[in-house]
Amino acid sequence: MTNIAVLTAYVIVLSLYVNLGIALYGIFARPSLVKKLIAITILSDTANAFAVLVGYRWPRNALPKPPVIPELPVTRRVLEEYTSSAVDPLPQALVLTAIVIGLAITLFIAFIIIQYYRLYGTVDVRKVRRI
Amino acid sequence: MEVYVGLGLAPLILTIASFALPLISLVVGDRKWFYHVYGLVFGVVALVYALVSYNMVVVLGKPIIYPFGGWPGPIGIVYEVDGLGAILGLLVAFDMLLVILYSWWYMWERDGVEWYYTLLLLLETGMLGIVYTGDIFNLFVMIELLAIAAYGLVAFHRSKKEAVEAAVKYSVIGATATTMYFLAIVFIYGTYGTVNMADLALKARPWLCLHDVDSCRYLALVSGTGYGNTLIATSIAMALALWAFTFKAAVFPNHFWLPDAHPEAPTPVSAALSGLVVKMGAYATLRFVYTLFGVNSTLDMVVSGISLRDAILVVLLILGAISAILGALVMVIQDDIKRLLAYSTIAHLGIVFMGIGVGLSSVDVGIASIAITGVVLHIINHSFGKTLLFMASGVYIDAVDSRSINDMRGLGKLLPFTTFALILGLLHLLGIPPLGGFFSKLLIYNALMNSGLVVFAIILVLSTAISILGYMKVIVSLIVPARPTELIGRVKEHPLPVAVLFVIALIIVMLGIWSLSGGIDYLSSLLNSVVSIDGAREYINSMTELSSRLAGLG
Repeated sequence: MTNIAVLTAYVIVLSLYVNLGIALYGIFARPSLVKKLIAITILSDTANAFAVLVGYRWPRNALPKPPVIPELPVTRRVLEEYTSSAVDPLPQALVLTAIVIGLAITLFIAFIIIQYYRLYGTVDVRKVRRI
Repeated sequence: MEVYVGLGLAPLILTIASFALPLISLVVGDRKWFYHVYGLVFGVVALVYALVSYNMVVVLGKPIIYPFGGWPGPIGIVYEVDGLGAILGLLVAFDMLLVILYSWWYMWERDGVEWYYTLLLLLETGMLGIVYTGDIFNLFVMIELLAIAAYGLVAFHRSKKEAVEAAVKYSVIGATATTMYFLAIVFIYGTYGTVNMADLALKARPWLCLHDVDSCRYLALVSGTGYGNTLIATSIAMALALWAFTFKAAVFPNHFWLPDAHPEAPTPVSAALSGLVVKMGAYATLRFVYTLFGVNSTLDMVVSGISLRDAILVVLLILGAISAILGALVMVIQDDIKRLLAYSTIAHLGIVFMGIGVGLSSVDVGIASIAITGVVLHIINHSFGKTLLFMASGVYIDAVDSRSINDMRGLGKLLPFTTFALILGLLHLLGIPPLGGFFSKLLIYNALMNSGLVVFAIILVLSTAISILGYMKVIVSLIVPARPTELIGRVKEHPLPVAVLFVIALIIVMLGIWSLSGGIDYLSSLLNSVVSIDGAREYINSMTELSSRLAGLG
């Protein structure tokens, strides 16, 4: 691992933490529901990027490869090369699942915001606050 | 090879049944009886599967496994059911069946029955998946499934302003909480290289490899490794995960959504949400703090004088105590009967979390075992009690078309059977000795007293004492005033809800008798896997034994 790679990793992690902060600020501090929804999607994208980053591998003397076996038949040599250079596929599977679930949640929240607007005539939660 | 197909089938069949219903409704149209029968049939199917799984666990005396697609252990997703999962699965299936039966009466005249049952079956799938799964990522998927069904059901009356506002509050913060749990999974995977619960339980206790050589050898072959600082990553993951779980369980300070969301749902759904859905947060907490990161695990490391696991448990104790007092206090001043019951749920979940917090590393395993038995018994007691109360309140609301207790004055004399069941349910939750609710509170109280947490034991009693005022207000305003003359003749009791209420009332009485006659010992032997280290080893070894044979390594 070169110094540049380490530096890049730090920059990525730092920017993901900043992203996380922005998303939480958006969800808890912004009064508009639409802004909250956007912040939720930022939050889940940040979490997904985190997962992909955790699965990233830095193989020695080679560039990391996608977790796909490109050759047939699969011999021992192909497998060895694959396991030594491919990134971890499991976080990518987790992210795929999380994205699909996130879509359902986002759709539901988008619908409920439209319904909120129809009933209250606003998407500003401050104007509707009850006791 | 003992692979229990029924275990994997139960949530699968329910999911298919749920998602097929909107398609079927294109053919069936508005023949409403069909949807009710459909819901009932799949409620019974779920109960049969839950009973079979429970029976398997009890007969075999060890956790049962279902590997999805035949993929072994930590490589594929497995369902792993131990005593705790089996008994909660049975509770979920049985309680949901009662909710569906009550829905026959409640939804008979209402529109949107097909959507209602789609979401209700999805809710049941989510809960069964949560208690049966042996994989923390699958737990995330099931929590999301449960959550989206619950959001949909809260917003079921979608043209009602309050319902939509409650659903917005619930879903926006709920989506944030579940994403936080996903982040926790990322941290755990990065550190331990696995998302399998049994594998994680072993990796969190590296010293177990001295005893369970075979499991360790197998897992060293197939399971990944992680990197980074274990302690820091584990504590961040626990902080994120417990935030999500306490949100699900509506423990202070994450309780704000519950008093809005639960009352706005249709009444049978309120019963399911308050009776079962919030318990899933408590179940997940139990799993994380005991089975995965129990005493002497990597979380139990001493940093500047205090073990991190103890610090987490003390926080849970304090949050539980605040919930118990706050829920009881705010409950007393409510006039809306469903809101009153919702605040009572917060108080009871506070008591449950105080019980969870007892298992500090300084506390004897025997006392922790009493506490966990008390917690599970209280989950069961509160489930049936709160289901009964919400169902009974639905009958009153239907009679006077208002949720205000003031409008229900004297109504008890017109609806004698419902009122009898309601009073029984209130006394049960209060903890009057012959009924079940007394024994679970007594167990938690004993555990708190014996582990030196006297302040929390007093808070438990105080919370109960305050809630007497709220419960008595309901009873007194129902039966003391003269019967409302304008309602005589217009209000009559329907046999179906009364039958359901009496079934639950019977269960409540039976729970008391069962607790008296050795039920507590039986329950505590079932829950051994959660508390003791032998139980954790059994949990790990059951998974690795079957998986190593599936992988051809055993």
